[in-house]
Amino acid sequence: MSSFISNKRNAASLFFSSALAGGWYTATSALLSGQSGEFVPVVGAIVLAGITPLVMPLARSRTEAENHSMAQRLRAFDSHAIVNIVDTKGLLEEVNDRFIALTGYTREQLIGKPVSMLYDDAFKELAAEIRACLKRGDTWQGETPLRCADGRMIYTQITVMPMYDEQGNWTGSISARTDVTRANELLAERDTAETLYELRDDIWIVDAETRGFSYMNRSAMRRTGWSDKAYTAKTLDDLSDESGNDAILNACEELASSGEVITQLDTELLGKHFQVTIKMLQIGRAPGRFLIMLHDISDIIDEERMKSEFISMVSHELRSPLTSIKGSMGLLLSRAAGELPSKARALLEISHRNADRLVLIINDILDLEKIANGRLEFNLEDTDIVSLLRETGDANASLEQRFGVRIQIENLNTPIWLNTDPNRVIQVLTNLLSNAAKFSKPGDRILVRAEDDPNELRISVTDKGQGIPMAEQHKVFQRFADLSNSNRAAKGGTGLGLSVCKAIVENLGGKIGFDSREGFGTTFYFTLPKKTSQMGAKETAPLLREAS
Amino acid sequence: MIKLLHVEDDADIREIALMALELSGDFDVVQCETGEAALNQVQNYTPDVILLDMMMPGMTGRQTLEKMREMDSLRDVPAIFMTARAQHNEIEELRDLGAADVISKPFDPISLADQVKTAMQAG
Repeated sequence: MSSFISNKRNAASLFFSSALAGGWYTATSALLSGQSGEFVPVVGAIVLAGITPLVMPLARSRTEAENHSMAQRLRAFDSHAIVNIVDTKGLLEEVNDRFIALTGYTREQLIGKPVSMLYDDAFKELAAEIRACLKRGDTWQGETPLRCADGRMIYTQITVMPMYDEQGNWTGSISARTDVTRANELLAERDTAETLYELRDDIWIVDAETRGFSYMNRSAMRRTGWSDKAYTAKTLDDLSDESGNDAILNACEELASSGEVITQLDTELLGKHFQVTIKMLQIGRAPGRFLIMLHDISDIIDEERMKSEFISMVSHELRSPLTSIKGSMGLLLSRAAGELPSKARALLEISHRNADRLVLIINDILDLEKIANGRLEFNLEDTDIVSLLRETGDANASLEQRFGVRIQIENLNTPIWLNTDPNRVIQVLTNLLSNAAKFSKPGDRILVRAEDDPNELRISVTDKGQGIPMAEQHKVFQRFADLSNSNRAAKGGTGLGLSVCKAIVENLGGKIGFDSREGFGTTFYFTLPKKTSQMGAKETAPLLREAS
Repeated sequence: MIKLLHVEDDADIREIALMALELSGDFDVVQCETGEAALNQVQNYTPDVILLDMMMPGMTGRQTLEKMREMDSLRDVPAIFMTARAQHNEIEELRDLGAADVISKPFDPISLADQVKTAMQAG
């Protein structure tokens, strides 16, 4: 942003003395040719134009013709450059007319005021650098923003030179600027255009009225096979006809008629899968244009497909040996091979229990993978939740035996019908019951309640266990959340169960949560909407869903 | 005795299933390692029930059953699939194919005999 010009103290002195002795051009050429052994750019020379009031009295000793000629040249530079003089305290001493015209201040608002008023806070460091540079007798050159009277910022290319009196004492500095705001904007516009052109995504701009292409970047031209001359003769309708895909055309029509500004869709076009973003660009009542961005997601889809196949394959490969392991242990425990010594039996039970746990982990991983890909199946049917709760309670009677707890189901007098996926609700409820049993003390009661509401059904499972510490409650639904008192391995948890429950409930359009007090117990609850015809399933990109 | 044909490529699982079914004392079990071997076996043997692994090298369980269904003697014999990839839609497809039941792996060896008998009655 800034360039530093090493310059000796005598540069400005040479400049001024040359100007006085030999005229403007001598002074300028002396600087440009580097008589002092240094280089000062031409904008530095413009300084002189800015200090007309200072220079003119000094030039009185010349002939009238010389003075007249010099005055003309100085006026020319004065009309071009933006000049100000600052004293050693950083106060503005003089500004030229161009400065006033450009910034919108009056002279009274500027003279005697700190020059820092023209800069924003971010400029302070740079201001210190410039000041240090001037103190050393060097010239500073670079780009600085300048705050105008109306608050807007303009950008200036500036050369700042130190000034000295006849004894060589530093008296302040003189700055000459050129307004480069518009130049910067043009550069930025050019950069944007170049960036769009080089972007890997395809960019189209389409006239909303004629549907004709008015712009395509390089990637889009390469894909369609249309040159920059060819595409201007084409329309979205042509592309739909040639590709056999009218999804983008339809989306544009819908966007225009809906009054919305932006829409997105996934589609397959010209042999690739795209995520398409269409933005309506409209100024006033003009017909407007569609900015259409096509992001190629073919690779992502392939990766997702491979990942999904890999997980599926691994889980299958794990299940086969687990079938043998669990089967062998099950047969041994059933005395198929005769009576076992008690210690051997105890060890075998541990192995069997952990094999069960491994199966649960594999199932949960598979479920989470399916959920992530929008592939978990939901089969909605009219379900009597009351019967379902009762059956789930009965099916989990083994928890009562294993943990010495009692499962009590309340509020089950009349059927409550919901259109939901009964198997998934059983899966959630079983998980919550299993957790409740694991964290209860022997003899504790686990309460299952169904609360009917006009809009939703709330099912809760309450235990009187140790509760969840407040500091760890935010982690409860995270995968493999390592809660300090969960002792997951010993209790046979997978670390994934609640993540799966959350995903299932949300996909069924409900919510899941809990209330817990450490030392007093926990209530986990989930809701199911009464109207589940519109599933609450989070919409996964259809192409990703197809891929998986 | 119920004549059961078990088709499974994993030798360990074959042995466990054999022990589990023999525990009940109600089954006369013949086992094959591949679908192709099973199709040879049924040329001279008509089982009362078929227990088929889904994923096998060569012919899959589904392909094996499709071939068996082309034989008059096996057209109505109850078939039960065993699979490590028991997805709901797959289970439905297998039932449409005439499967009496689909048992997920890992299966419980203690209840296997009862599961087979229940499926036979339902089929």
